[in-house]
Amino acid sequence: MGFCMKPSEIRLALHLWNRGHWRDYIFSQGMLFTASLLLIFFISIGLGVQNVLDRFLSSDLPAEQVRVTPPGVQAGFFQTETGGMEITEEIRVSLEEMPLVARVDPQIYAHVPAYLRGRLGGQPYYTDITLEGITCEFLGDSLLESIDWSYSLEDSSRKLLPVVLSENLLLLYNAGFAESNNLLGLTPEGVIGMECSVTLGRSSIAELDHTPVTVRARIEATSRNMNLFAIGVPFEFVDQINSMFLPEDTRRYSALVITAVSAEDVPSIVREVEETGLRAETRRGIAQKAEILVGAVTAALSALAAAILFSAISNAIHTLVNDLRNRRFALGVLIALGTPYDRLAMIFSFQIFFMSMITTVLGATIGCLLAWGASSTLLSLSSTLRAAVDTLAVFPIGWLAAGLGIMLAASTGIAYVFFRKILRTPVTSLLRP
Amino acid sequence: MSIIQASKISRSFEGMEVLSGLDLTVFNGEFLAITGRSGVGKSTLLAILGTHDRDFIGNLSIAGHDTRKLKSSELAALRRKYLGFVFQDFHLLSSLNAIENVILPVVFSGGNLELARSQAEDILEMLSVRTDQTKTSLLSRGERQRVAVARGLVNKPSILLADEPSASLDEESEQILFNLLDHLRKQQGFAIIAVIHSKSILERADRILELKDGVLHETI
Repeated sequence: MGFCMKPSEIRLALHLWNRGHWRDYIFSQGMLFTASLLLIFFISIGLGVQNVLDRFLSSDLPAEQVRVTPPGVQAGFFQTETGGMEITEEIRVSLEEMPLVARVDPQIYAHVPAYLRGRLGGQPYYTDITLEGITCEFLGDSLLESIDWSYSLEDSSRKLLPVVLSENLLLLYNAGFAESNNLLGLTPEGVIGMECSVTLGRSSIAELDHTPVTVRARIEATSRNMNLFAIGVPFEFVDQINSMFLPEDTRRYSALVITAVSAEDVPSIVREVEETGLRAETRRGIAQKAEILVGAVTAALSALAAAILFSAISNAIHTLVNDLRNRRFALGVLIALGTPYDRLAMIFSFQIFFMSMITTVLGATIGCLLAWGASSTLLSLSSTLRAAVDTLAVFPIGWLAAGLGIMLAASTGIAYVFFRKILRTPVTSLLRP
Repeated sequence: MSIIQASKISRSFEGMEVLSGLDLTVFNGEFLAITGRSGVGKSTLLAILGTHDRDFIGNLSIAGHDTRKLKSSELAALRRKYLGFVFQDFHLLSSLNAIENVILPVVFSGGNLELARSQAEDILEMLSVRTDQTKTSLLSRGERQRVAVARGLVNKPSILLADEPSASLDEESEQILFNLLDHLRKQQGFAIIAVIHSKSILERADRILELKDGVLHETI
């Protein structure tokens, strides 16, 4: 006898097989649906959130660099440090003479109030800023390689002040100014080449006696390695501005960036720098802080996802097995009447494997759509996020397929083992009430 | 010609021997009645003859097949082909109606569904069982018993194993049932092995065997 069943026979067999069990069956499939939906949703959104955090918290400081700042000077608003320990020329020279140091690049903050004015997205834009004087090597990569990174006030009539814009400032623009004025957010790539004017000696909160100076500027690059309200400009320009507006201020350096001969030398340099009383910051240190935050958020999300997922999968397994347990008697009757085992296996395969697979795929699809919808909604609500990432929902196909496969295999596999156990049970036991 | 050959069948439950080296031969088309007191092992014997219980000692051959040598799947095929069952507790699926219960073995075994449905309707009609959509859980005990008989017959078995098939029937229904069984038996030639207590039905049997002390004793 051939055991291939016609579709109409399968339909009738399933119809009779499930009569009185539809609720249990739909519930078990509903659990699988929920589990696959949650799996996809949490993985994709979780990875997306991790991307955003990485993007926000990552640093461009290369592994072999150490940023040296006076203690108490914290990257942030309008730094015009006065008093306390200074980075002197002697300190710089002594650091340069350290055997493990390949190069020392200086950085100086402008000690004068300043603001930036321009047009962004067709709208006039104004913000108070701090100027960070940096050398071409300061950013530690080839960011400024093709740019003429020199400027003095004498150049103002014939060239534009090259500017490295802080990506943090960009984020602030996106989150604050752009949102409140219904402007599109800006991406780091999108601002390159924009022109603006930089006024020195005056800001919305401070004004010096000296006549303000305004120069035209052009954004040449962006960096995550700058202070919040800072723009990076050529070192000698800030030096010139400080001397012009505050001639009595002898501070020469606000920070130094030490490039070690190799990344392995960084810990030794950090120790020596800290012995001088200065503060040393490394990528590892920055990264560690970021990693702790990202790790904490990821762990919290993962724990929540795992708890929900575990609950959904165990519920799915429980209901699938329970559904089979409720059918022990029916299976016993069918076996007693001589139903071929492979027909029962076919019914089981169709009902559990095939339908569960369809349910899982359906749940995963809805999970994708929900994740995509959540991502679109969040991005539409926040231009900061929009500027930082294209999407909050990440779909690593391989991982998602593996996750779904494991979930499906776990739930249907356990159900199948239980099914085989029922088939091995003596008929007389199955028929016993 | 024998259709069942059982020799030296023994079966124990937790050390207590219920069947003790029982021998039985059943011939094609005969009506064999088995009697005996409650708990003597009649249902156990039927379960062994129906290949539901395999934990016995001895040899059992059905239609020339040595059941000890058959795998579970082969035994299922043997049951499907040769055996019809009427269980003492009916073993109907309560969520299905009468016809669905009767055609259930055919649905899952790949027989001719239309023919089975038509036969089921005929048998149920002859047994005065409603063939509407009423679930069997809502039928009376007597009606359920008749549905169980109909299911045992639908595959046109060579042997009908029936455990007290008329226990829940009134005398009239009992006579109707056995009239039908006699009619079909003559028509199709199947053997009936039934646990019977009713004297009027016992009179219809070709042989009556009493199960006592683990073995069968012929009474007529």
